[in-house]
Amino acid sequence: MSDSEPKIVAFLCNWCAYAGADLAGVSRLQYPSNLRTVRVMCSGRVDPVFIITALREGADGVLVAG
Amino acid sequence: MGQDRLQLAWVSSAEAQRFVQVATDITASVKEQGALDVSVFELELEAALMTVSAENLRWLVSKELKLTSQGDVYGRHWDTARYETIMDSVLEREYEKNLIYLAIKAGNQSVREINQRTGLALKRVSYLLADLEKTNRVAFERMQDSNPVFSAL
Repeated sequence: MSDSEPKIVAFLCNWCAYAGADLAGVSRLQYPSNLRTVRVMCSGRVDPVFIITALREGADGVLVAG
Repeated sequence: MGQDRLQLAWVSSAEAQRFVQVATDITASVKEQGALDVSVFELELEAALMTVSAENLRWLVSKELKLTSQGDVYGRHWDTARYETIMDSVLEREYEKNLIYLAIKAGNQSVREINQRTGLALKRVSYLLADLEKTNRVAFERMQDSNPVFSAL
């Protein structure tokens, strides 16, 4: 499967990775648009249930970044 | 399922370049592995979901700090390594039990059928079935060609 784009759910910490992603946008850095971002107040908020649910509902990959 | 489908990364708010790197890397590795056909892992994911949603297990997770710093109600002290070892085996065991339960529910009722469906060793299946019987989650139904047949409650 190289023709269709993978769907990746990304749980991003509001204070770290989300701000990092924001800065990447402001700095006009290019990065793939496969991430579906979910902003959380802390990566500790991410429950294993979220990850399993994401995979069950059709995500091809899951990223937790804090 | 492919190990790189779930990734954990630390990116600080100042590291835009690092975020770009992480996003590029995971996209490339997931792309390489192709689309995830979730129907193949239906039973496994359901069992994993049951395991991490179980109330007693979640209580045990929240007790980690108390158990490792103050000890349990019997005054026994648990070091972190021991707590983690036990947590791992508890998770594995509960996951396997849920897997067996779901396999029976899906119609694989003899030990051999469960073994074929789940990939768990025959001995392990019989051992965990006894446990599931004790907690009234499965019941012995009947003998079929001298093989025991179980049903999920």
